[in-house]
Amino acid sequence: MTILVGLNLLDRQIVDRDGDPVGKVDDVELGVDDDGVPYVAALLVGQEVLGERIGADLGTWMAGIARRLRTDRHPKPLRIGYDLVSEVNAAVRLSVKRDLLPDAPLEDWLRDHLVRHIPGAQEKE
Amino acid sequence: MKKLLGITLGILTSVGGFVDIGDLVASSQAGARFGTAHAWVLLVGVIGICAYAEMAGRVVAVSRRPVFDLIRERLGPRVALANLAGSYVLTVVTLGAEMGGVALALQLLTSANYLVWIPLVGLVLWLALWRLKFATLERVFGLGGLALVVFAVAVFVLPTHWDTVWHLASRPGPPSGTETWPTYWYFAVAIFASALTPYEVFFYSSGGVEEQWTPKELSQSKINVFVGFPLGGLLALSLMIVATVVFHPLNTSVSALGQVALPPTMALGRIGLALAILGFFAATFGAAMETGLSCAYTVAQYFGWPWGKVLRPVKAARFHTVLLVSILIGMAILLTTIDPIQLTEYMLIFSAVALPLTYLPILVIANDRGYMGERVNGRFANALGTVYLIIVLAAAVAAIPLMIMTRAGA
Repeated sequence: MTILVGLNLLDRQIVDRDGDPVGKVDDVELGVDDDGVPYVAALLVGQEVLGERIGADLGTWMAGIARRLRTDRHPKPLRIGYDLVSEVNAAVRLSVKRDLLPDAPLEDWLRDHLVRHIPGAQEKE
Repeated sequence: MKKLLGITLGILTSVGGFVDIGDLVASSQAGARFGTAHAWVLLVGVIGICAYAEMAGRVVAVSRRPVFDLIRERLGPRVALANLAGSYVLTVVTLGAEMGGVALALQLLTSANYLVWIPLVGLVLWLALWRLKFATLERVFGLGGLALVVFAVAVFVLPTHWDTVWHLASRPGPPSGTETWPTYWYFAVAIFASALTPYEVFFYSSGGVEEQWTPKELSQSKINVFVGFPLGGLLALSLMIVATVVFHPLNTSVSALGQVALPPTMALGRIGLALAILGFFAATFGAAMETGLSCAYTVAQYFGWPWGKVLRPVKAARFHTVLLVSILIGMAILLTTIDPIQLTEYMLIFSAVALPLTYLPILVIANDRGYMGERVNGRFANALGTVYLIIVLAAAVAAIPLMIMTRAGA
């Protein structure tokens, strides 16, 4: 299957098998097979890779903030192997549930330090 | 009744765009200074927002992708980030102004200075957005804003001179006297921009996702658009006409919310005043919800974070944090004692500049079969969309020069 990475993949919304948002395709990781044909190996998600893709001062600044907001020493973006992608149309649909993927560190931090402590945070609308 | 409740999203969106705190005063001000000479701009604005909200609603129903997803997808991360930064600043400042509008409505009711009410307004707004269901918010404030229909009633109770109204409306331009063409066009751009403010399509399309529209809801979206937005336009037109009747002959200008409430009070006495204040309160509170949620929707949609009131807050921690911080920023802006009414008017002019970057991606995606399948734009929708893109570009180019030339319509 041919796919135009720039037009059909980059910057699309990634959703899990139930349609819940996972993130954007902020960048892709390419591989080259034995015949020398390039293929999409993985989707990369996170403000660090997005900042690097935007480039210039603004992008570097965004990537810097994203790294600083993380607690681990050598932060890596969320990497979703392309074999988990089940469908590409208006969104990139995965074949797994979101819960199986690690949450973004900023989401974790804000949930544990702020949102969870407000009464009613657990309740559905 | 069920049908009526099904279109509250359209009503709330349009009330928040057409008769929020800035427009309540601006429409009356336009009526006082120019009579109904700007009525055609409202008509042009209503058709434009209908065309683009219909497209955005259709995209949501078919693909479940709200407007800011499309912006990043089609314009790329850099231009979309510029759009996000611009839209966020405009929307958060407008959010501050709308909270100021709620406080001004409370000032009319209690005579206590509006600044006293701001902390309470901020708290109640946040609580409403934290605890109440999306559908409840829509219904209470969409329908509450309809109290402004009292202005339409006043049009018929007051001794409206229809010949004069029609005379002014059918000859666009500044009425002879002190007003000039640049001022006339400055008001025209502001009124046009208030009809097509970007936060309307952000909110409307995200609301469609919150309500979990599918292709089955396509007709419901159409009814929302074609009833809701004309209704907002009609309310704005009523404000303009009553101001034409009451203020235009006297050559007075309107600059405070209390003056806006004068025509329905003259027409219907205390009941008119009460309904006007109720309408001011619901419309500005609804607009505050619309702008507050739009701030959080756009940021979350740009970055791809989980968002929406449909999720439990612990599942959308970044979204709820942006919402909370936006409300705090809005309150901080207000507490500088800046005039909320003037503030929204400036924001309208700046938003005119940002309009093309929001509407172009909607038009492009509405033609993309990868998203829309068989439900791509027909010829009529494309013709209308293209014409409006040109109008929007013209308004964007003219906005700032007109603002400088006329010293913001002074």
